[in-house]
Order: sequence, then C-alpha cells, then structure tokens
Amino acid sequence: MTVLEEPIKKILDIKNYIDNEWVESEGETVNVVNPATLKVIARVPISTENELNEAVDVAKEAFPDWRRTPTLIRARCLFRLKELVEERFEELSRIQTMEHGKTIDEARGETRRGIEQIEVATGIPSLMMGCNLEDIAAGIDEYLIRQPLGVFGIIGPFNFPFMVPLWFAPYAVAAGNCIVIKPSSEDPISQFKLAELVEEAGFPPGVWNVVNGGSSVVSAMLTHPDIQGICFVGSTAVGRDVVYRKCGETGKRVIAQCGAKNFLLVMPDADMEKVIAACMTSFYGNAGQRCLAGGNLVIVGEGLSEPEYEVFYNKFINAYVDAASKIRVGYGLDDSVQIGPLRDRNKKERVGKFIERGIEEGAKLTLDGRNIRLIGSWPKDCFLNPSVFEDVTPDMEIGKEEIFGPVTCVIKARTFDEAVEMIHKNPYGNAASIFTSSGKWAREFQYRVECGNIGINIGIVAPMAFFPFSGMKNSFFGVLHGQGQEAIRFFTESKVVIQRWF
Amino acid sequence: MAVTTSDVIGFIERLEDDSSKLYYEMAEKYPCQKDIFLKYAEECEKSKILVTRTYQETITDALEACFSFKGLELEEHKIEIYVPKKTSFAEDLKRAIGMEEKAIKFYEEVIECSRGLLATIPNAFKKAAKIRSRRTLELEKLKNTSII
Repeated sequence: MTVLEEPIKKILDIKNYIDNEWVESEGETVNVVNPATLKVIARVPISTENELNEAVDVAKEAFPDWRRTPTLIRARCLFRLKELVEERFEELSRIQTMEHGKTIDEARGETRRGIEQIEVATGIPSLMMGCNLEDIAAGIDEYLIRQPLGVFGIIGPFNFPFMVPLWFAPYAVAAGNCIVIKPSSEDPISQFKLAELVEEAGFPPGVWNVVNGGSSVVSAMLTHPDIQGICFVGSTAVGRDVVYRKCGETGKRVIAQCGAKNFLLVMPDADMEKVIAACMTSFYGNAGQRCLAGGNLVIVGEGLSEPEYEVFYNKFINAYVDAASKIRVGYGLDDSVQIGPLRDRNKKERVGKFIERGIEEGAKLTLDGRNIRLIGSWPKDCFLNPSVFEDVTPDMEIGKEEIFGPVTCVIKARTFDEAVEMIHKNPYGNAASIFTSSGKWAREFQYRVECGNIGINIGIVAPMAFFPFSGMKNSFFGVLHGQGQEAIRFFTESKVVIQRWF
Repeated sequence: MAVTTSDVIGFIERLEDDSSKLYYEMAEKYPCQKDIFLKYAEECEKSKILVTRTYQETITDALEACFSFKGLELEEHKIEIYVPKKTSFAEDLKRAIGMEEKAIKFYEEVIECSRGLLATIPNAFKKAAKIRSRRTLELEKLKNTSII
C-alpha cells in the first residue's frame, strides 16, 4: 500500500475571487474535511448576499468590453487556461481526492473531463457562427447572429467539484458572457485552485468570479435581476422546486440537471465478464455518488424458460456478488484502492437508512457493505463497502429513489418489455443502459426508452464535451443542456436580421 | 487481486525510472560505452513520459479504470535493478538483458489486460516494449562483440 503525497499540507483559507481580486468574506467559515482521514484541509466562507451582489455588479460591468473582445482572443484565454490545468493536472486531481474522497484514477478522469470542456470551448469562433440565406424575397437577405446575454450564475454540486462547473463556465465566457460560480461548500478547493489558474491565464477583471457559500448565495443568485441565467446540478428537490421555479418567476434561462435512478438491463446474450466490470464502475465508482451511477440492475430473461432463467440469474448474480465483495475500499490516494469514502458522515448515514429501508421492505441484502473492510487504517466514519440487494421490486423505495451510495438493487424481469415498463414508471429519466449482443434489442432500447442518456454496453453514459449532457423527466428541467453546441445556444441569444438595400 | 490503472502506471513509472538509473550507472562505470548507455537511459525517461501522458490524456469514466487489469499480479513482475560494483562488463550486460526481458514480459501482459481500454493505452505499452526489444538485441550484440 503506497499513499501518494497529499498536495494540501496546511489548512487553506478559501477566499472569494471577485474582479480578479482575492477577497475575504465577512460571512462565517465552515471546515472542509477530508472524508478518508477526517482531517480539516480548508476553511470556506459562507458569503453574504452583499458579496454575491458585488460579484454580479463587477461581472455586469465587465460584460460590454468582454463581449466586444474578438472570439479568437477570448479563445486564447481558454487555451492558456487549458495549458495551466495540464501543468497542474496531478495536483488538481489529488486535491479532488482529498476534498471529495474519490480514488485517484477517478479524480484524474474528472480532471481530464474538465479539460475537455475547455478544449471544446476554444472552438468558439466556429461554435458561435450564425447562418444566412440570400434572397428570401427579391433582393432581401436574412441572417442569424448569436449574441451573448450578460451575467450567468453557475451552482456546482459536491460530487464532481472540479468538472461540473466546467460543463458551463468555458462556454459561457467563450461566448462573451461573464460568470459567477458558487462551488459546493463541501468541497470548494478545486474551484479555488481553478480560479488561481484563471487569474494566471489573463482573463480580464470581472469575467470569471467565484463566490463561496450556501443556500443564501443560491437564493440571491436566483432573484438577482442582473443574472440572465442559472446552471444548476444537484438534487431534484432543489432543482425542480427551487431553481427551476424561481428562474421561471424571474424570467431567467435555466439548466437544472437533477437526480436519477438509472436502470441497467442485462440480457441473456450479454458478455458476462465485461458486464460485471462495467457494472462495478457504474454502481460503485465514485462511491455511487454520480448522477449517472447505476441504480437498478435488471436481469432480463427474454426468450428463456423459467429454469433457464434461474440458471442465468444465479450464474450472473454469484459472479457479480463475488466481484463486488473483492472491491478494495480505502483512501483514494492509495492507488491500489478502487472505491473511496462517501463525501461525509451524513451521506453515509443517508445510505445506511436506505439499506435499512430495503431490509424492511423485504429485499434480500446479499452483500452488506456496512461490514467495513478497508485497505489501510483510516477512520471508518465515511466509508461503506459495496452492498447488493436482491429481490428488489421497482415500487420499493430502494428501487424507486436515488440512493447515491455504493448499493446495487437487483430486479428480475422476465421480458424486455417488462424491463422497459419499469424504466418508464420511474419518475427519473437521466440514463439507462442495456447489455446485449443483439442489435435488435439495442436498437429497440435506444428507440423506446425515455431517458436522456442511453448506453449500449456502457456502464456510465457520460456524454463527451462536444455532445449535450441530456436528461428527461425528473432528472432535467430546462430546454437546452450543458456542454457543446447546446451550451453555446443556452449562453447566446439568436438574433435574426432581414435586410434590403434600395 | 484486482489492480487499478493508477497502480499499473505507477509501476511503469518506477520501472522506467529504475531502468534509466541503471543505464546512467553503467554509463559511469564503462566510459567507453557511455554514449550507448546514456541513450538507453534517455529512452527509458521518454517511455515513462509517453505512458504517463497517454494515461493522463485518455483517463475518463468510460475506461473502468479501477477494474481494468483483472488477474494481473504486480508483485510477480517486480524487478531488482542495480549494478554491483565488482562485476565484469559481460556480467553487467547479462544482468541488463535479464532486466529487459522481464520488463518486456510485463509489458506483454499489461498490453493483453488493457486491450479493452482505449487503443492509445495498449499502443503506448507496445511502443515501450518495442524499444526494450530493440535494446535487448543491441545489448546481446554488444555482449557478443565485447572485448572488455
């Protein structure tokens, strides 16, 4: 067991980044705790409404000059930012492990995904181009131009502290807008470090601002008249009932990417070994704290007789439980570890309650992750080993709700249609996957399933930066999605010009 | 025991560092062959950069990075790399050839394990292994023609 060197040696005092200045907040501070070691690694301020207002004011002031800055020059700031992030790749990744708990492989993957967003946004001269058509009538031409809108607010979640704000921020600023980011107060260090690189990359004052805090900052963002739109990633309860509703009331654009309960179907013709590897990552990676994580594993008996289905089910489930029980859990900076801790004690407690609820509801807890076995001697407060529930039905709470922890809920379905029906009855529609070697079932699945992100033999359906991060039903509120071309449309207004010269 | 991608990359970094150190020591011990051994040391450094960069540029959620190297036993591939002081040139070459052969065997195994990952990763391993194969032949030739 070798633990990689921690990049944070002493407690960091996080500051707000407003108008290219590092500003102390007047608000109270809360501790940021490494969930694996329980050591305090930073103190983050809960900023006041006035501080948010100040950030919006400077962003609004910076907007006219920034929007007039040629797209290539705006792109060059992003090129420099990308280079700086590449230079600090390892440090930024290890910081994510320290503040969130994820393994170092997962953290490096998150850093890479974040960089990819910056890379795609550097293509802004092409991405932002409009279109035109001559002679829509005699001697009359029509064209469309995309114009930035002003100031946008970005509210980040705790589960991907580095990457998720980058689903939006590079596109917003590339398009000529100015932004105010509010990182999760649970793990704000990644955005603090990123802002240091933003400063070094030479963005003009007021373009990229970071205000730390909690719900009071969010509330102030949602009601601020000078914020044109909000990008939010978090729970459905907050996304739908607070963010989406408030943005509707105040006339703001909104992208609200919310909760999920993702179904993964295993057909009898699937490649079992590969399915299990994909499922281990899907259900247990990031300690299950992903909106694209597997939630329900549906073993489908399409075309099999009852005895054949039992044989298939038992063979699969035995191999699955065996693989899950061997997963190495520990501190993510130990690079032999496959799962890190949950973000904090409360999150572990919440998952524990779901496990208890599952038992009460009559599901069979085949593998109990509450029996904690760790690689290394770490406080067990935030850790859980993988759990597997069998005999789950889609109407049980554990089969219906997002657990956000390392738990697999196994459901039986005799037919493909029955499995699809289960997905459709669930209120969420973030992602769904099918494992099969049949093109027919894969096509049918892609065609019929009402989820935004569809996987064919893929465990985590994470769209690349140049595709939209989709979502349906209770998993997404808004019209346009984050990432790529859709993000550009979200961050710009389409203006149409019709002209004739006499 | 399952091995993570990070584990494998860390192992390769150490392997290439140690190999590089070995050739620097041989360059110091055998000034007549200095240029050859310095070239080998630099090759090892470049292989390390190639593998690390490839990993950092391709690592994503889609890689199943924590579950990719099933069945690989890193302990079995540990190689002792050193140059004893009182050994002959032929003996040192023989030791270097042995180290290269073990390292190639390791690379061959990780190439197999990583075929499911993005092609750039096994390709980087292949390139590092190919450099070592060529080096092994050169070392053999040097051993056979050496009069030191």
